[in-house]
Order: sequence, then structure tokens, then C-alpha cells
Amino acid sequence: MAVTRFPVSEQSRQTSFVGMVMALASWTMLFVALFFAYAVLRLRAPAWPPDGLQPLPKVLPFLNTLVLLTSSVVLHFGVRPEAEERPGALRRALLGTLALGSLFLALQLAVWVPLWRSGFRIDTGTYGSIFYSLTVFHAVHVLAGLVALAVLLPGAFSGRLVSGRASTVRLSAMFWHFVDTVWVVMFVTVYLV
Amino acid sequence: MHQWPFPWLTTVDVSRDGWRAEALFWYTTLLCVIAFALVAFALVYSSWKYRARPGVKALYTHGTDRKSFAVTGILAALVFVTIDMNLVRVSQADVKEYTYNWPASPDTVRIEVMPQQWAWNIRYAGPDGVFNTPDDVVTLNEMRVPVGRPVMLNLKAKDVIHSFYIPNFRLKQDANPGYVTRTWFQALQPGNFEIACSQMCGWAHYKMKGDLIVQPEADFERWMKEAVGDAKRRFDPADREQLWGWEWVQ
Amino acid sequence: MGDAMTRKPAAVRHLHVGPEFHAEQHIHPEPTSFLEKYIFSKDHKVIAKQFLWYGLFFLVVGGVMAMMIRWQIAYPGTPFPILGQLLWPQSGGVMPPQSYAAFFTMHGTLMIFFAITPILIGAFGNLLIPLMIGARDMAFPTLNLMSFWTNVLAGLCMIVSFFVPMGAAAGGWQSYPTLSTLVGSPGHGQTLWILGIFFTGSASIMGAVNYITTVVRLRAPGMGYFQMPLSVWGIWLTAILNALFVPVLAAGVLLLFLDRVFGSHFFLAGAAITKGGGDPVLYQHLFWIFGHPEVYILILPAWGIVSDLLSFFSRKPAFGYKATALSMSVITLLSMVVYGHHMFVVGMSPLLSQGFMTLTMLISIPSAVFFLNWLGTMWRGSIRFATPMLFSLGVVFVFGLGGLTGLHLGAISSDIYLHDSYFVIGHFHLTMAASVLLGAFAAIYFWFPKMFGKMMNDTLGKWHFWLTIIPITIVFCGMLVVGYGGMQRRLYNYEAYEFLKHLHPINVWMTRAALLLGASQLLFVGNFLSSLISGKKATENPWEVGTLEWTIPSPPPHHNYDEIPIVLHGPHEFNNPAVAGKDWLAQDEPIGDEPVALSAVGN
Repeated sequence: MAVTRFPVSEQSRQTSFVGMVMALASWTMLFVALFFAYAVLRLRAPAWPPDGLQPLPKVLPFLNTLVLLTSSVVLHFGVRPEAEERPGALRRALLGTLALGSLFLALQLAVWVPLWRSGFRIDTGTYGSIFYSLTVFHAVHVLAGLVALAVLLPGAFSGRLVSGRASTVRLSAMFWHFVDTVWVVMFVTVYLV
Repeated sequence: MHQWPFPWLTTVDVSRDGWRAEALFWYTTLLCVIAFALVAFALVYSSWKYRARPGVKALYTHGTDRKSFAVTGILAALVFVTIDMNLVRVSQADVKEYTYNWPASPDTVRIEVMPQQWAWNIRYAGPDGVFNTPDDVVTLNEMRVPVGRPVMLNLKAKDVIHSFYIPNFRLKQDANPGYVTRTWFQALQPGNFEIACSQMCGWAHYKMKGDLIVQPEADFERWMKEAVGDAKRRFDPADREQLWGWEWVQ
Repeated sequence: MGDAMTRKPAAVRHLHVGPEFHAEQHIHPEPTSFLEKYIFSKDHKVIAKQFLWYGLFFLVVGGVMAMMIRWQIAYPGTPFPILGQLLWPQSGGVMPPQSYAAFFTMHGTLMIFFAITPILIGAFGNLLIPLMIGARDMAFPTLNLMSFWTNVLAGLCMIVSFFVPMGAAAGGWQSYPTLSTLVGSPGHGQTLWILGIFFTGSASIMGAVNYITTVVRLRAPGMGYFQMPLSVWGIWLTAILNALFVPVLAAGVLLLFLDRVFGSHFFLAGAAITKGGGDPVLYQHLFWIFGHPEVYILILPAWGIVSDLLSFFSRKPAFGYKATALSMSVITLLSMVVYGHHMFVVGMSPLLSQGFMTLTMLISIPSAVFFLNWLGTMWRGSIRFATPMLFSLGVVFVFGLGGLTGLHLGAISSDIYLHDSYFVIGHFHLTMAASVLLGAFAAIYFWFPKMFGKMMNDTLGKWHFWLTIIPITIVFCGMLVVGYGGMQRRLYNYEAYEFLKHLHPINVWMTRAALLLGASQLLFVGNFLSSLISGKKATENPWEVGTLEWTIPSPPPHHNYDEIPIVLHGPHEFNNPAVAGKDWLAQDEPIGDEPVALSAVGN
């Protein structure tokens, strides 16, 4: 009567998909609340950036946006059903995404460190508070996403995992795309607008 | 003066507009008592009349027939229209006529209040009519106002959130650090009343008491003149702390 | 397994089979080691029990703290018996004001997050959802395990916070800044509180994701959403609110944490900040965007459970079942847009305040609908007054009372006077504490046989009920009275204020009632423990009701159902004239001879 492992059936794939959607809805609300806080503080401030503070750099963050968007595309090519027909597709996609994701984090550091050194810190009023907390919090999620993808590598290399048909791959990819989407919103609202 | 049920329960209301809170409270209570009495009756009656008895079966109904929908729907709508909509109507009139109806007459007394852990700093603009100048009258824990004139307050807390509460006026207003909130009231009779804090502000929140002294006009003016003289004499230009006031927010 | 019965062309009832029609539903293997069976279990029934012990423990801690708070109000300056000397020897056993502040802060925190949530949502959510929908376990059993142990981590943070220098958080359970920032709360207690909230919030979200997915995906064939017991509706709607709004609390306390630990300026303002200050009221917005749905999170399971129990013990279908489910859903939605009524004296714009007032009042409509449906269920029933029914009636009573006092608080001009007064405390204790507590007791007495295979003593239960509901009504109605009288919240004593002294005799009576209330719970503890040890053995269905969990043994086996049941109708088929010989019908029993055909859809 009892089965020893969850069979990888269509039913449990759909169930884990529903679970992930709910989890992402939760995470979305967390970021929505943070953006709400940002909106309130910014709308109440007499000027933005506040007196005496420079606007944020735009070039590196823009590059980073391209990096993340590319990584999502790359990942998608390894996750979609057609990937099963091209041996090693998932493996290459994972490695590509990991590389691009790491590049993202490196570029973020390249933005933060000089700013921090120049005296613009988390306690530099609400402007600094929002900038660092939002971007660092996002970066933590990028790191978590990279770990989730890295964990799939042994399976991808051994050939056990070949596409997003496996739940673990699909769910991790969903998380990665989510993190990417949050960044796009963050880039527009924190850096551009 | 209005008469409310159980006056011994609460403080005497000496304000021009406190009757609004009382009236709405008792109106709501009356409607609720009627509604709850009906509910309680239904509960007790049903419990007795429909208790399990041998040979008597329960009625099989899912309550989805038209009559049931109608009864439930009508009762729910009735509750909403007679109670909720009425309360909203009354309250909206109250806030339009009093709460957000800031007094703009020239005889309005303007006072800045800066609560801190655990005391009330009070500031009057003095003869120049401008706050944060050497002729300001500054008191600690004591607010004096004249009878019969509107008194408008600007509140801004020094450290944590406090709330300015004068029970005899049925009035409360939070004071936040960082920006100004406003409220206003008018006393109808003189007397000594209490100012209390009604927002948790630290362990000594319970003893953050001030005095609100309502005086006849002449006494108030006499006190003010004397206080202004004292203030001018005692003003120390080197003391930055003394000038804690801000530009008035109407 | 889904064999269609004989078709009669004219009168066949077609049964739509749901998305997961899968009689061979998998189940994780039965655990063998002690650790796997009782400590790190993935079985929802074991996790339910773990949450129950956990919640009852904190209910006792929170309750004792309440007794001590009431003692201090009624008998200021007198030492609290025994515990006083232990905790505060330096003041002769008298509670100092700093401890008082920590106590009312932690009383609220522990009761909400560590007593009510684990008992109603953690324990009964876990116990009831899989059993009542005909599933073998939750959709994600490992996540379930993680949810419990993350909660334990949270509890540890809270307990440890009492023992750090400067003690536990003491700025009120809402922890408004700037009192909760380093300006007002310099010690580690407040930081540990934030960590505790973060962990319990994460645990709630994990649980919510699990509950929602389980209800969506694992309902037995034939159990559409409108064949689910209302208990499941209540818990499912709660889970949706939890998933969406606990993250907002997480965001708020995260920013507070950053202010405290990393020096950011989200909520810091006032004389301590020379420029670039934040907005302390922003926290209140974030907090109450979570906080208002939270109060519905706490009450929805009890509403659902009471809706079912009233039907069960009136031997009558739940009156207006669909309308009740829909009302609870509408309230769930409305709860998201009314939060500003907690902030009428903060200094919000008039437009915003008035908008919130109007939206708040709208909640009366669906509330009235399901409340009337409760009464409609009893009307022309055949009521059996077993202990679970008494407690359910108790919920109807105290919730009716408490809910109505919400009207005083929802209108701006009466709220301005009543804000931060004991009227508010009376209101939320009646609706949240009393209703939920009585609902929890109803649930415990009712499902004790299923969980533990034994019956609780009904006579002791009835004594427990009367000795609980009478003092509860006195204490919290007393609060309404002294609140109207002008008494603010969170006062250590009122020696400073002349205007409060005349309320003292009322406060003394409230304390006496509170102490009686506390003592009466010993009846429950005694009943619970002795029934566990030597209670009468429970049959499969001692209450003779139709929900699925009563079709399997008490307690159920590891895999719950030998065969996944096929649900043929709703859970409240009592005294159906087409049923002969008994006045109830299990959800997988056909009504009379009606033929049923299954069409598998969406496999």
C-alpha cells in the first residue's frame, strides 16, 4: 500500500507547481511591502535624492539588468521540454546561469564598495537605508537562487536531470525568474525613476 | 450640558464638542443592545425549544430556499442600513463639523506641545505671534487655556510616540517624532483637569501626567502677561535646547 | 475505485471527479525509530499533536502573565503569591513597572503567535485538513516538519529574551518605533523579539503554502470546494491570508531590525536624528496591513469549526452553507482594505480615515449573514448539549457581543475617545481571545477522541464551560466599562491620575473574575490528562457525524484511509428523509438508492 518514494507522476508535479506559486506569491508580498515602504518614504521626502546626496550610478546597474535577463533566457533554454533532445543542454544552461548570476553579484559589489567607501552608507538617511537594504536583500535572494541551481549540477552532469520536466529543476527555475523580475522592478524604481 | 447614562462612570465633559463622542457611543450602544438582546433571546429560546426530545426530528433544510435567502438577506441589509450606515453618517458629520474643521478665527489660542519621556513641554508664541522666539512662554506639564476660545494644538514628540489625552474633553491625538500632528478643542467652563498619555511610551508611561488649567479670560490674560515678562527676562541666547519649537502648522 | 453504478437513464447523478483522482495516493513510509515517530515526524497527525502541546504550553505561560498583570492593577504594591518572590525578590515580590511593560508586551505576543496560532492553525489545521478532505497527508510533509521546528526556534528566541540584561521587549506587542528602536529599547530583548517573529512568521508561511496546496490538490474525488466541511474553509481562508500578509509583517520587522542593528533610518525620527530621518508611522502602516488580516487569521478557523459543530449537534444541515463559505471569503477579501481603523488618531489624512471607516463598516454585512446562518442552523434542530456544543454556543455569544463593540471603534468620532483604552482591549479579547479560546476548547473536546482514541469526561467538560464563560464575560465586559470610563491601556497603576481612581472597584472585580477564570482551567487540564491516561475508549464515530475523519478508526492509522473515499455529498446530511434508520450520513455513503456515475475529469 505505501510507496517508498514519491513517484514522479504528473500529479505531484502539478502539486509542487501550485505550492511554488503560493510560495512565490508570499515572497512577492514581502517585496511589495518593501517597495511600499520605499514609496512612502520617498513621497514624504521634500526632495529625492535628499539634500546633499548624489543620484545613484546607472551604468553598472543597467549592465546588471542585462546580465540577469540574459541569465533567465539562458536558463530557459535548458529547462524547456525541447532541451531533452539536446544532450547536455540543461548542464550548459545551469553553468551559464551560474556564471551570469555570479557576474551579477560581482557587479553589485562593484557598485556598493565605492559608494560605501565614499561615505554613502546604510545610515545615510532614508536614501541610504532604502538603497542598501533593497539591493542587498535582493542579492541574498540571488545567492539563494544560485545555490538552488548549483545543487542541480550533479544530477545534470550524471544525466539524471535533463530538463524542467523534473520538479526540482522547474521549481528552481521559477525561483530564478522571480528573482530576475524583482530586480527589473528594483532597477526601474530605485535607479531610474 | 448633555446628560448621558452612568455619568459616575466617566469624567465630566467640559468641552464644546465632547458630546459628539458620547452621543455616538450611546447611540451605537443602544442599537447594539437591541441587536444583541435579539440574538441572546434567539440563542436561549432555540436552545430550550429545539433541545433534543424523543420522537421529535430536526427539520431537514439547507436554508437555500427562497424564504430563507430573503429572511437572511433582509436582516443583514437591515443591520447594515439601520446601524452601520447611520454610524457612518453621524461620524462623518462629526469629523466635518469638528475634528478636521480647524479653527481659523483670530482669537484661537495656539499651543505647541512636545511630549517626551515622561513629561509635557508646552509652548505659547507670545506677543509676537511667532513660535520659537525669545518671547515664547514655555511651561512644563502645565497647559493654561481660556474658557470659551478655541485652542489649537500642534504636537510633535521629542523621542517616541506619545498621545495627548484630555479625558474631560473626550479627546486624544498622537504625537509622533519627526512631524507635526494637530488637534483642537474649546472649554465651556473653568477648572483643573488632567492631561494623560495614551500611547505606550516607556516604563513610566503610567505617570506621564500634566495639568490642564482652564481659566476665565481675564485670569488667563493676566497669567500670560506675567509669563511673557518672565520668559523675556529668563531667555538665554546660548541655550539651543530652549528653542525646541517649530513653525506653526495651521 | 470508481466503478460506475447501474445507470438509470433518467435519474443519474453525475459526479465530477477532481484533479487528483488517484486512489493509489502515495504516503511516506511509516517511521520506525523513536526520533522519526515522535520528534522529527512528517505525519500530519503527529505534527498536529506537537503543535497542540506547544500551543497549550504557551497558553499557560501567557495566561499566568495575564493573571499577574490583573493582580498588579487590582492590588498595586502587593506581592504576587509565590511567583512574585521568585521573580522579583529585590522588591519583595512586587512586580516593578519595567517588568509590567515586558509582561503585557509578551502576553500579547505569546498568546497571538505562540498559543492561538499553534493550537487553531498548527494543530487543528494539520489534524483536520488531510482527514476531512480524504487525503493521506499534507501535500508537503517535510515542509510540515520544518514548519513546526522553525516555530520551536521562534519560541526559544522569545523565552531567551526574558533572560537577557534589560529583559524582554517592553514596548507593547505591536512594537511601534521609535519606542522599539534603540532610542526606546536599548537591550537585546527587542531584537530577539524580532527574530522570534521572523521565525514564527516563516513557519506560518510554510504552513500556509502547505495547507493551501493540500486543499487545492488533494481533495478526494467528489469533494468539490462546496462539499468541504466549513472547518476546512475556515482554515484554508486563514492560510491564504497568512501566505499573503505575514510577509508584510516580515518586511516591517526586517526594517526595524535593520534600524536596530545596522543603523538604517527607516523609522528613526525625532530629536535623536539631525537629518535624513525616517517615518515611524510607516511601521504602523506595514504592521496593520498585516495586523488587520491577522485578526481574521486568528478567528476564521474558529468560525469554520463552530459552523460545523452547530450543525452536528443540532442534527441539521448547516443553514446556508454556501452563503457562509462565501461570507467568510468576502470577509477575507475585505480584511485586506480596512487596516486604517487602527490608526485614526495617528494623523492620517481625513480622506484616508473616512475611506477606512466606510470599508470597515461593510464587514458587517457578511458577518451578519454567517451569524444569522448560525442561528438558522439551530432553528428547528434537535439539539444535543454535549460539551463541544456548549462551547460552540459560547462562541456565538461572546463573538456576538465582541463583534458589536467593533462598531464603536469603527466610527472615527467614537474611536478617537476609545482608542488606546480598555474598551479596545475588551473588544479584541471578546472577539479574539474569548471566541478563539472557546472555539479551541470546542475543537479539543470534539476531536480528542479522534486524536487520542479516548473520550473526555463530559460532566467535567460542562463544569469547565460554565466556569469559563461566566468569568470571561465578566472580565472582558468589565474592560468595556472601564474603557468607556476613560482608562487607558498599559497602565502600571493609576496613582498619578485622579480621573481613574473611581474605576478601581470595577477593576478589582475584573481581577477576581480573571483569577477564577485561570483556576477553572485546571478542570480542563485535569480532564485532559486523566482522559489521556484512562479515558473511555472511543469508537470510530462517537458523535455520529458525517465528515470523513469519522469513517476511520480513532486514532487513525499512519496512512489514514485504506482506500481514498469517494465523496457523494456535503458534510451536513442530518435527518435527510431519504435516509432510513439513522439521522446522519457519512460523506462517502450514498443517499438511499440513488445511482451515481463518476466521470473522471482533468486527470
